[in-house]
Parts: sequence; C-alpha cells; structure tokens
Amino acid sequence: MSPRVLVVEDNALNLKLVRDVLQHAGYDVAAATTGELGLASAASEPPDLVLLDLQLPGIDGHETLRRLRDGVLADGVPVVAVTALAMAEDRDRARSAGFDGYLEKPISPRSLPGQVERFLAGGGS
Amino acid sequence: MEEGPTTGTSSGAHTHRRLVDAQEQAAATREILEALGRAGAEPGEVLDTIIDRAARMCRADAAQLYLGEDGTFRLSRVAGFVPEEFRRHQQEHPMAMGRDSLLGRVALDRTTQQIADVLADPDYGRHDLQHLAGYRSLLSAPMILDGEVIGILSVWRTQARPFDEGEVDLISTFASQAAIVLRQVELVAALEARSQELAANVRQLEVLREIGDAVSSSLDLEEVLGEIVSGAVRLTGADGGSIMEYDTAADCFLVRATAGGTEDLTARLRELRIARSTSPVGRSAVERSTLEITDLAAVPRDEHLDVLHADGWRSLLAVPLVRRDQLVGALVIRRRSSGGFAAETPELLQTFANQSGLAIVNARLYGELDTKRAELEVASRHKSEFLASMSHELRTPLNAVIGFSEVLLDRLFGDLNQRQEEYLRDIWASGKHLLELLNEILDLSKVEAGRMVLEPSLVSVQACLDYVLSLVRERAASHGIELGLEVADDVGIVWADELRLKQVVLNLVSNAVKFTPDGGRVEVHAERDDGDVLVRVTDTGVGVPPEDRERIFESFQQGRRSTPQEEGTGLGLTLSRRIVALFGGTLWLEPQSDAGGSTFTLRLPLPRIEAAGGSGAAGERTVLLVDDDRASLDLMTAYLSATPVRALHARDGLEALALARTASPVAVVLDIRLPRMDGWEVLTRLKADPVTRSIPVVVVSIVDERQRGLRLGASAYLLKPVRREDLLEALDVPGLGAGLDPVGGGVS
Repeated sequence: MSPRVLVVEDNALNLKLVRDVLQHAGYDVAAATTGELGLASAASEPPDLVLLDLQLPGIDGHETLRRLRDGVLADGVPVVAVTALAMAEDRDRARSAGFDGYLEKPISPRSLPGQVERFLAGGGS
Repeated sequence: MEEGPTTGTSSGAHTHRRLVDAQEQAAATREILEALGRAGAEPGEVLDTIIDRAARMCRADAAQLYLGEDGTFRLSRVAGFVPEEFRRHQQEHPMAMGRDSLLGRVALDRTTQQIADVLADPDYGRHDLQHLAGYRSLLSAPMILDGEVIGILSVWRTQARPFDEGEVDLISTFASQAAIVLRQVELVAALEARSQELAANVRQLEVLREIGDAVSSSLDLEEVLGEIVSGAVRLTGADGGSIMEYDTAADCFLVRATAGGTEDLTARLRELRIARSTSPVGRSAVERSTLEITDLAAVPRDEHLDVLHADGWRSLLAVPLVRRDQLVGALVIRRRSSGGFAAETPELLQTFANQSGLAIVNARLYGELDTKRAELEVASRHKSEFLASMSHELRTPLNAVIGFSEVLLDRLFGDLNQRQEEYLRDIWASGKHLLELLNEILDLSKVEAGRMVLEPSLVSVQACLDYVLSLVRERAASHGIELGLEVADDVGIVWADELRLKQVVLNLVSNAVKFTPDGGRVEVHAERDDGDVLVRVTDTGVGVPPEDRERIFESFQQGRRSTPQEEGTGLGLTLSRRIVALFGGTLWLEPQSDAGGSTFTLRLPLPRIEAAGGSGAAGERTVLLVDDDRASLDLMTAYLSATPVRALHARDGLEALALARTASPVAVVLDIRLPRMDGWEVLTRLKADPVTRSIPVVVVSIVDERQRGLRLGASAYLLKPVRREDLLEALDVPGLGAGLDPVGGGVS
C-alpha cells in the first residue's frame, strides 16, 4: 500500500500542484485547505506524513500542529512545515515548535517527491 | 627587636627584618594608593592614612604633618600620641626655617634628616617644645612639589633611639606620597574655584539663555511664550501679562500664555476670541502701534478688557508682535493700579515682543515640518506594507505558474510537441523572471526602509564563488562561454552575510554571462588588497559606454549594453550596490579598457575577527583557539586575558584552517574532536602548508594520544581540563619569549 501524505495548504492551485505531483510519484494524497479540515482528514484517514502550511486562515500551522500531536496523529508520523518565510529564524522557530522538517516555498515539483521520500524515511529536510 | 646604628644582631635576623619591612612597606603603599583611588576619597583621609603608616612603619611614637605657609610650617595633622598642649602650640605658632629645630633644618636643606637625641644636640634650640612633647629622637622629611617644600612629615620617639637607614628611606617615601596627595587637593580646589566662577557667570546669563534657547529649540510654544511673558513682567515691574497669537484663519487674537494672574483668569482669557479690528488691543496691533491704557475703568472696553477690569486690573501696555512685516500677535503687560508706565517700558517690551514673534513663527514652521514628516512616515509605511503584501500575493500564484509549467516540461503527464514545449519554456522563464523581479523589489524596499538585517558570519570566499559559478555553469555552457575562477592563496575568509554576498556575486556573474556573446569568456578573480578582499568579475561582452558607468546602478536602468531581447530586472545592480554598502564595502564598474568588455569590482572590508575584548586589528598578536565547545573557548580566552595576546576563536576544523591562514596567529590551541574536520586532519594540514607550517600548535584534548600529536608536529600536548599555568607554559606566554614572537618562530 502506498504511503498517505496529508497536504494542508490554503491556496487551491498550489494544493493541486503538490497533490498531482505526489500522486504521480505514487503517493496516496489527502488534501485540506484549512487546519480544521486537515485535522478532520487526519482523524478519519490517518496519514504517514503531513505537509503543513504555516500561514493558514483560521487556526494557523502551529496551532494545527499542536492539535495534530494531541492524540490525532499516531506516534512517529512526521509533520513538515511549509512556508514562504525564508528566514533562518523562521526555520529555527519551526524546528523548536516541534516540526520534523521544513520545506521552503516555492515548492519545486522536481525535487518534491525526493524530499517527501526522505521525510518518510525519517531523514529530515 | 632592638635596632641601633651599631649592628649587634645576626645577619640572618637582619635580612629577615628587611624582608618584613619591604613587605609591610609594599602593603602600606598599596593601602595608600587604594585610598587615593577610591571614588570620592577625602584627601584628609588619605593624608591620615599616610601619617598613621609613617608612625607605625618607622616604629615611632607619633607622627606629624606640617604644611608650608609663607615660609613657615604649621601643624596640620597628627598620628600616635601627641600631647594636646604641643598640638595647640604648634597650630598657633608655625615653625620658622632655621638651624635651631629639625623642621627648620629640613626646610632649609630640603633633605630628610634626624636628630638622634635632641638633649645631646648642641645646636638644638627648641627645648620648650621638647618639654611639651617629651620626644628624644626626631626624624623629618620634606614634601617637595615643583622644587618647593610644601610641607614636612615628621616622626619622633620618646626614647633616644636613632632611626635606621630603612626608616629614613621610608619617611622620605611617605613624604613624597603626601606631596602627591596635596597636589591633587590643590587641583581639586582650583577646579572648584573655577567652576564657581563659571557658575556665577552662568547665573547672569541664565534668563536670557533660557529665553533664547527656548525660542530657538523648544517644541512647546506655550512654554516658551510663558517664559517670555514672565520675563517681560519681571523686568518691567508689572503685575501680570499675556501673549496672544493672531490666528489668520479665524481673523482674531487668541491668548496663548499668561503670567501673574489666577488660573481662573487664565482660563477666561484663553476662551476669548479677540477681534482684530474692533478690540482696542487688536486695532493697535494692526496699526503696529503701542497701546497704553492708564485706567481701564475710564475707557470703553471690549470683552477682553472687561475680563481684565472685572478681575481687578487697572492699567496695561500692549505692543504688536511682528515678524517680517507679518502681524503675528500682541504682548500685553498689566498692573493692578492705574497710572502711566515708565517712558522706557515700551522699548523694553519690544525686545520681548521680538522674541515672542520669533518663537511663534518657529513653532509654526516646526508644526508644518512635523506634519509633513508624519505624513511621509505614514506614506513610507504604506509603501512597505504594500510591497510586502503585494510580493506575497503575487508570489503565490506565480509559484503555481512556475510549478505547473515545470511539471509539464518534465513530461510528468505525457509528451509535448515542439511548439508546446517552446511556449511552456516561455511561460516558465517569464514566471521565473517575474519572481526574481518581485524578490528584488522586496529586498530593495527592505534596504530603503532600513529593515534589511544582515546575518554575518565567517564566509570562505572560495566556497562562495564556487557555489555562484555552479549556478551559472549550465547557462554559460549552452552559450559556449568559458568560465574562469582564480582565488589568490591569501584570500581565505571574510566576515559577511553569506546569503547576501552570494546574491551580489551571482548578480554580477549572471549579468556577465548574459551580456557576453556566445563563445566569450567570463572570469572571476579574488585577491586581498590592503587587508580588504577584492572580487572582480570580467566579461568579454559589449561593455558599457563611459556615460552610463554610474547610470547602470540606478533603478530600472540597464544601460545601452542591453539588447531588446535581453531579460533583466534593472534592479540587480541597484540592489547589489545597496547590499554591498550595508557590508561597509563598495561596488563599481572599472573604466572600459581597450580590450573591451566590462569589469565590475567588489571591495569587501577587512574581516572582523571575533576576538576577546574587541575586534582584532591588523598586526595584533593573536592566539587561535579551536574548540567546538563555547565554555572551553571562554575559559581559555579568560586564561589569555592577562597576556598581551588576543584570543581568536574557531569552532570547527575548516574555520580553523581558514583563520590560521588569514589571521597569522602566533600559536594555535587545537581541540581534537571538531565538527567538519577533526583536529588530527587540521594539524596535518597546518604542518603541510608552507604558510602555516611554522605556527606552533598546542593540542588540548580529552583524547590521550600524546605520541600521535607530537609525531604530527604539535609542539605540546595537554589533557583537558587544562590549567592556566600549563596552557601559558605551553604557549610560552610568561616569558613572552620566542613562542609568541611572530618573527621568532616555534616554541621549543
């Protein structure tokens, strides 16, 4: 069975791009446009990896992470922060907030499958 | 212990006594110096310390300090047992120069002298004093300042027992210390006198200065006007007054400041709108004339005069405030009694009126400026916010454009025909170009708003240039452009924001590739010049005409070297120059040479080296400490703090190598377990490199492999935790010998 990746991203076009690329690479992809929808999806169809945008309408990425970790996700499921804030401090903040990795926008369709593979293998970013 | 002029004790005991003396003297001197150095030390306290130590160290029964006074010497302070009658006598009758007293002799001869027994000295003539105090042996030393005997330090014994050589030396030392203290007292006194004199002058100027200062600088107009009207009232002997400003828009006078009246009156005056043409004060101001009312009860009154009259005021004098022919307001002084004002009062009042006019005009200008600045700040903030949000809003869809075209170009979902591929490439390239433009606009707005924060670190120039060239290699190859890179051996590292430095160099190099015809050549060259690092990017392109040499650094100016199909944001060079300026460096285009093409040169300032207690300057002697543990670095830095060398830090093996090459340390202290490259490898490379071969390396490690270290060329091998003495000994610091001499070479 192919690994399930939950993608939480509010921009529909970017979400579609990531979904299509990952599906093409053989992943089972669940997509959500808000933190709440992401939580619901994670609860009903447990993912093996979560790609979580930090800037979301409603509850933001950090809050979503907190709730995902609070009994929704199985232990050891990596959650990767996705953001355009390309600053070292943001990267550090994401790390210390408990994210398992960090993906910088713009996401490159060429390198995304490889990056996802590494996150699933526990290799970090 | 009995000590006399004839040495009866054994020489061993004598030596011991000398030693104890020397130690005590050192301690006493230190105490005195400490007393002197204490903040706010009383000179009297310090002098007391001195004479107290003088008595004790000279094994005397009492000590006295006399101060010079018109050729005589008056007793100032005492220590030990000094009979009250003697003290009183000496304070009332200063000692004169002369051979009948020891003090007199010392003052005459300016040398330290003693009388072994006053009762046995035929020339001694002050037996009256001897009766009062009962002394037998006397020792006195002159306190000399600028060749003058300003005082005398004196000790005595009540038994006839002469003072020895050591004691004579001691009292001389104490006397000269006392002289130094007195000089300080003098200096302080002179300073105080001078500042009192100044204070008196200052008080005289105070009123005028206050008004003048306030007029020219204060932002609070009413405060300034308040001071002016108070001054006017005080100087004219009036009981109260007010200053009113003419409000052009409302065509009336408004009271802005008052003096000498109740708060209630002030409040009522401030409510008034005094008409320009119908009120007496207004009318006279418009006519630029002085208005004098000797009895308010006897004249027709407008609302303004009614308020004053009802409040008990009986006479007033008003002058207009005029500035550059413009009516600014009016100044009014008033009295509770009726009657005329002195003849000179209007003229005096005019002085204050001029000040008031100036203050009001200044305040108006200032207000305008303030409003303008606030408006500008708001506009600038809006601009920045707009740019930041625009950039975010535009980037998100752009990322989709780029991403989808990339997916299609990679044929993830099927093959493309030639035209489809061509169009997709255009979409992709346009998207990339737009993204680049957006990023540069955002960066530029950050620089302009002063919000670009640099994150400097030690950057290897070679690595940075390698990286940049790797980014343009593909494009250069597709146009048959040859890329060359040459980094001089001594370039090493610079202190810069790595990301921004790469951005700048990438801009220069990609420009060069862009403007070089197929088959051309782009060369990057780095070298040190006077400590700075120069990076030069040369191409064989069309070059830039001389008249465009500066223009190409302006926004959206690509100069004439661009051809219509050449892409470019027109912001790259502007941004690069601004970023380089943030580094403290410069970026310029070299004058065109006969060979054609163009050369851009980037000058980066001296690497700022992280050193203990400040930045390292060129030529300073440094010891390179290599350890990945902050605490270890701090400890060893502390060990070196009392030595003349500075500590320089490296946190990993590669940084250590770079610093060893660039900073020319006199020695390296090397840990073995290091990130990126371990200590063994660092040591091997240091010893293999002709530049660093002769720098002594002290290994400090928890790994006990002394033989291996020494075999690889370490000059010493220490185990952690290392003690200060061991480290300094290994570095040869105590003697500052050959090991720390940059010319001298290695540690033995």
